[in-house]
Amino acid sequence: MKIPTAMDDSSVSHHNGGQVGSQIGVSVNNKQNDEPSQSVQYSIPGILHFIQHEWARFELERSQWEVDRAEFEARIAFLQGERKGQENLKNDLVRRIKMLEYALKQERAKFHKLKYGVELQQGDVRPPPEEPPAEPEPAERAQWKQGRQLIKQYLQEIGYTDTILDVRSNRVRALLGLNNEEVENPNYRNYDKQQHDRCDYSMNHMVRKYDYDTGKEPRKSGVSAGGGYNEEGLSVQETAAVFANFEFLTNQEMDMDEIDDLDAKQSHHPPGKQGEEVDHEAEEVLNELNLLTEREADGGGQGDEYPVGSGSSGGSAVAAGAGAGAGEADEEPLALGELAQLTVSNEPEAYDVASANKESFRKTWNAKYTLRSHFDGVRALAFHPTEPALVTASEDHTLKLWNLQRTVPAKKSAGLDVEPLYTFRAHTAPVLCLAMGAPRSEECFSGGLDGTIRVWNLPPPTADPYDPYDPAVQGAVLRDHTDAVWSLSSAHGRLLSASADGTVRLWAPRAARPLLSTLRADESPTAPAPAAADFADAASRAAVVYRDGTLLLYDLETGQPVLRVACDSPAHRVRSHPTLPLLVTAHEDRHIRFWDGVSGRCAHTMVAHLDAVTGLALDPNGLFLLSGSHDCSVRLWNLDTKTCVQEITAHRKKFDESILDVAFHPLRPYIASAGADGLAKVFV
Amino acid sequence: MAVEAVQILRRNRPGSKAKDFCRWPDEPFEEMDSTLAVQQFIQQTIRRDPSNLEAILKMPEAQDEGVWKYEHLRQFCMELNGLAVKLQAECKPETCTQMTATEQWIFLCAAHKTPKECPAIDYTRHTLDGAACLLNSNKYFPSRVSIKESSVAKLGSVCRRVYRIFSHAYFHHRAIFDAFEKETHLCKRFTYFVTKYSIISKDILILPKLDDEQPVGESEA
Repeated sequence: MKIPTAMDDSSVSHHNGGQVGSQIGVSVNNKQNDEPSQSVQYSIPGILHFIQHEWARFELERSQWEVDRAEFEARIAFLQGERKGQENLKNDLVRRIKMLEYALKQERAKFHKLKYGVELQQGDVRPPPEEPPAEPEPAERAQWKQGRQLIKQYLQEIGYTDTILDVRSNRVRALLGLNNEEVENPNYRNYDKQQHDRCDYSMNHMVRKYDYDTGKEPRKSGVSAGGGYNEEGLSVQETAAVFANFEFLTNQEMDMDEIDDLDAKQSHHPPGKQGEEVDHEAEEVLNELNLLTEREADGGGQGDEYPVGSGSSGGSAVAAGAGAGAGEADEEPLALGELAQLTVSNEPEAYDVASANKESFRKTWNAKYTLRSHFDGVRALAFHPTEPALVTASEDHTLKLWNLQRTVPAKKSAGLDVEPLYTFRAHTAPVLCLAMGAPRSEECFSGGLDGTIRVWNLPPPTADPYDPYDPAVQGAVLRDHTDAVWSLSSAHGRLLSASADGTVRLWAPRAARPLLSTLRADESPTAPAPAAADFADAASRAAVVYRDGTLLLYDLETGQPVLRVACDSPAHRVRSHPTLPLLVTAHEDRHIRFWDGVSGRCAHTMVAHLDAVTGLALDPNGLFLLSGSHDCSVRLWNLDTKTCVQEITAHRKKFDESILDVAFHPLRPYIASAGADGLAKVFV
Repeated sequence: MAVEAVQILRRNRPGSKAKDFCRWPDEPFEEMDSTLAVQQFIQQTIRRDPSNLEAILKMPEAQDEGVWKYEHLRQFCMELNGLAVKLQAECKPETCTQMTATEQWIFLCAAHKTPKECPAIDYTRHTLDGAACLLNSNKYFPSRVSIKESSVAKLGSVCRRVYRIFSHAYFHHRAIFDAFEKETHLCKRFTYFVTKYSIISKDILILPKLDDEQPVGESEA
């Protein structure tokens, strides 16, 4: 109750300031005295003054505390805001990773399906779910950079200060730096990268499309000067990239039933309407992006070829055209440089997702693995029936087993070097031919210039090249041929061999008496020797080509020829179609010829190469033909139209020989070529 | 054939007899335009007469000596596969538990993270496999036309290890060694090669001179 009084008398206090001072002095002195004497000395005005004074002091302190409190509150808000920003950033990055992973999965599944018509078992290629989403790929880092830029832009718009942005970017950098140090399974990474490149490439197409669309939108904001403009241009470009990713995701009209619900939903709804249906996170991001793109569609004035699509030249166009601010300009070329690399490395890929469907889909093969370890020409190669592994046979008298999942990254990034898992030594002369046993038999057969056919038990794919020598790898030796064995073919546990001694022999390699029958076209010693042989008609017949060009079809029951066609050019290879009664032969005169296996009629003939055709392989579905030639090139043919789909220059010449064999993997998307230069190459 | 009749195509066509394998007229070194010319030339000279060491190791003029040595070493390692095949039949881990030549040294296999006392046959295989990897390494030998000086230096250690295969065969599997040597003259050629180019020091060459029976000193470095 005293305080209101004091308040009333506040004017007095000013008048009596000095007096109050003295009064206080008195009162302090008097504290030591006993109470009665104290009360005597107090005067009402003095007390009032004292109280007024005290009150003023408290008020002052209170206001100070309030200021402090406000300051702390501001600080708390600041920190909370920062934390929230961090979280948003993190979520966004995680979302982005999910997007990319998802795109990758879809892409992989589609690719797999189109290649083989079989759904991919995702489990094979997916990283373990608990694996942290580290992003060490340069390709993906470009994405991160874009993401960071985008968020930066976004945060600036909702009013975060530069300080926070800086702090945050530092932390993000630290975070990313950490992630980069984590060691990932290199195989997964490589596979991933490959797939990722493909995604990116397809994204580029989408970007173009997107730009075309936005070009029609009304331009909303004016061009701001200097760095600002540049920044905007950049963000539009990156938004476009991300947005394109979404469009790409939603545009998938493929049947992806197997993947997961998300896919199914997306594929059946037009992009604009997917709102509630899609994954919540995806929706959020999409909205954000829409907002951004609406506001900044103006950047689209840069034209419809954004740097994402057109590589470094486009990048410089942006920089030059915008008179870039220094700060941003430093970062930008870096990001674009990475992108440019990406697009360049994808250049030969004629792969367009926008129009991708089963009919128009066209896979392009790229060299991925180089198998160096042979000292001399590689004469033959064969893939493992199921694993990503292959065996090569060389003129250096050895065979080598390679596991494509155990690679050494090569220096110039483009390909991978593989080191052999095992070296098979037993032949005493060049090894000329090779055949892989049935699935799960884990065996292979090789024939050499020494006239022997050897059976090998394949070491497991986990074998180490420097394990102790295991003599059990060497199996039976079939010694009936008296001259070089030039061709081997295996089916249903039987083996067909063609030798320069003039005979073709049928074997049951594991039997006690392995030789089943000997097929001889002509008893005379001058008869031309067989060059190659292959099983035909579900292994009930044998197709054999001779050095004079004759093609003979034997019935394996009777051992008698049932069909004979003559051709004037020496043949090097014969392959029978996996499902149709069709025989394909490769000739010295640069031709590939197709024969009807029933009538013996020549179904088609074509000049396939610039030099002798040496290698032939049919894909497991019988849709494509692969041929190799001494002209150093491998060609892929569409069997239906007999047109060349792709040509790859693969090997160098040694004397006048170049490519000696080609092969398809029976299950996986691999093709391979073997060269006289001692290398084998695997394409994916 | 679509090619001109005058042109010789040096090819081994499927179905050719073993005796006709690589039997084509020699091609002068100057006319070889392949990146594998040196290998072609070396193999061609060996095929003509494997015992003529002088001719085989006579380097063509204006040839890069690094490449010349490298290609020869490739050829040695390749032909040594033949000796390894023969040894596989006789040199068992039970009998030759260590890689030895004379009693003086036990050689440790360098193919492992920490050098190991591999049985002789494993040492042989590992050394040849390791040499194949090194000599085909894209890192050290990316080209077969020119070779860095630092990579040429790597040839020495390969030669030293490879020589131990000869010496093991000589001291422990003399019959195999003699049969192989008679056929290929490989050890003689190798010794001539490493001596001519001073790739490994003479006191490591512990095999007696193969032409005369005069044994040389058995000291090792």
